[in-house]
Amino acid sequence: MPSSVELIQSLVNGVGIGLVYGLIAIGFCVIYNASGIVNFAQGVFVMLGGMFAYSFLVQIKLPLAVAAAISIALVAAIGVLVQILVIRPMWQRKAPMFAIILATLAVQLLIEQIIILTFGDQPRTYPEFTGGGPLKIGDIAIDYQLFWILSCGALMVGLLTLFFNKTRIGRALRACSQNREAAALLGIPVGGMLMLSFALSAALGAVAGILITPTQYTSYSVGGPFGVNGFIAAIIGGFGSAPAALAGGILLGVVQSAAIVLFGAGYKNVIALTVLLIVLLFFPRGLFGGLAKRA
Amino acid sequence: MGLWKASILATLVALTSGLPASAQDTITIGSSLGLTGYGSLTDGHWRDGLELAIEAVNAKGGVLGKKLRLVYEDNKSTPQQAVVVYRKMMSEDKVVAFDSGCISAGNFAAASFVTKAKLPMFLCSILPRLPEEQKWAFSFLPPPKFEVDARYEYLKNKTNIRKIGILGDPSPYGMLMRNIALEDAKSFGLEIVANESYQQDDSDFSVQIGRINAAGAGAIIMIGQGNAVITVANNLRQLGLNKLLLLGSINEREILIEAGKVLGEQYLFPAPMIQVAIDDVNMIADPKARAAAEAFLTPLKAKFGGKMDSAQASRAWDSLLMLAKAIEAAKTTEGTAVRDAFEKLGPYVGAGATYEFSETQHIGITKNPYLIAHVTKDGKLAIKYDGRQ
Repeated sequence: MPSSVELIQSLVNGVGIGLVYGLIAIGFCVIYNASGIVNFAQGVFVMLGGMFAYSFLVQIKLPLAVAAAISIALVAAIGVLVQILVIRPMWQRKAPMFAIILATLAVQLLIEQIIILTFGDQPRTYPEFTGGGPLKIGDIAIDYQLFWILSCGALMVGLLTLFFNKTRIGRALRACSQNREAAALLGIPVGGMLMLSFALSAALGAVAGILITPTQYTSYSVGGPFGVNGFIAAIIGGFGSAPAALAGGILLGVVQSAAIVLFGAGYKNVIALTVLLIVLLFFPRGLFGGLAKRA
Repeated sequence: MGLWKASILATLVALTSGLPASAQDTITIGSSLGLTGYGSLTDGHWRDGLELAIEAVNAKGGVLGKKLRLVYEDNKSTPQQAVVVYRKMMSEDKVVAFDSGCISAGNFAAASFVTKAKLPMFLCSILPRLPEEQKWAFSFLPPPKFEVDARYEYLKNKTNIRKIGILGDPSPYGMLMRNIALEDAKSFGLEIVANESYQQDDSDFSVQIGRINAAGAGAIIMIGQGNAVITVANNLRQLGLNKLLLLGSINEREILIEAGKVLGEQYLFPAPMIQVAIDDVNMIADPKARAAAEAFLTPLKAKFGGKMDSAQASRAWDSLLMLAKAIEAAKTTEGTAVRDAFEKLGPYVGAGATYEFSETQHIGITKNPYLIAHVTKDGKLAIKYDGRQ
């Protein structure tokens, strides 16, 4: 039987990785709500965030804030490019949704290959934003980077909530998610909103990548697993609001972490997928979407 | 009409005599490599080593008066594709021997029909399972036991650590190594107090590390190659476990350096001498081994620069130079003669290791080639323990 220290430590670790899943999940939700597209290239935005941040921080030696800002802007620009070059033409030609979703998968593979050819296939990591950790509370260790992830996650959710509720553009984006045809009739530029959603989503992925790289590494191949976990988190959260997606991510992270403690590493994904199936069985619209509906 | 036929015939003769400058004046060696998929890192280096060796042999006039030619195909790190590419190289390229990469399953899948064709196989991987197939295969891979024993020997001789935890991946090679680690610990006076697993794409290992620490281990024996060791290093630091030693597996130079930057001398790993000596070949004490290493490192650095990983490429280089030597000794490219000549080469001091193949010994590396190394503050590999200190 695991000790209480093990369980609490796994909870802390689970929250840390879960917050990152949550940020990726929000990225999925932003595009899905604006267009109905599940963007399977979301994971590569995480990878690109880490890659660019490494280049600016370690190779060019820019200050952290500058490196992070440039990286986020670059990844957002790549998101816009993906929308202009791949999604928009298919959208305008009224391609079936499954074809567009498949195209996002192709984009992921394409970007990964470009990264191998330009950055190489070697892994990279950089130091945590605040050195000297971890914070020790008894036998529990809390890494300083967790506080960065926690505060940035909260900041992102807060800013997105304000954006969607208090700004005209945010409200326009929400209108697109509710009824694209009606939004277009009201004069909302739906195409522009779709482009904005890709930029936002890519930027969120980049933030997640920049935050998580010091706790592990980044390389061309990390996007896939992050994308899958972010997608699961989005489904658990219900593809609705940013807080719900973040909560879905935290739940997934904690479940995975607890599964390792209770059943071993081999069962991590088995337990996570079982939880997903249970959620879908009882809450087909996602945990929080379902709860909201019942309430 | 007759003139037309004669002209066509003459053109065909002219074309055929032009083309086979390759077929007639070259000896073709085939290589099945996992250039994409999980084996891409190691097999890419294997190919680089083969190409360097081919250039070196050809610069000296080739073998039996003919140039060597390398044909390689991507088996996508899968046995199914390996079968396809082996067959293609046999039927279309008419290879006289194979010098293939580290995808064991791919080499195993092809071994039966390669053996029937009486073509020798020189492999980065372990040997195929069947005795008839093993007669035609030669392995340049250090036995897995050496990688475990190098770490255990260091713990026994240089530390007071007697309790260890294992953290391993569940791949077939990882499981093989884990079993060796479990069996060998006692003979080095070590007790395994925790036995944990991980998946290669896991993004956090804190739970497993915490359990190993809680069990009282003084060192983690990590079994499994790849990027995961960087996450393990980061997790150790995040948990503040600065007294728990991490003894990783053999790995790519860049991966070793990234993990070493995180943990410094808390992270140690087995490495062949050639991997450490890439920055200073004078580290190699034995003059014969130093000369062999220098002959390899000079063209390697000229072609790829100093950051290239030399561990896999050096053994590929050795394998091809030894194959060339065997063909020269056999005075033919006929498979049986080449295989027999290879078995009679005797001890061979190569760049990557010393090999002792014989009729009954088809695993060439019989002495542990690993030392224990660490990453210095300026991001270079250095020797921590070479068994003699």
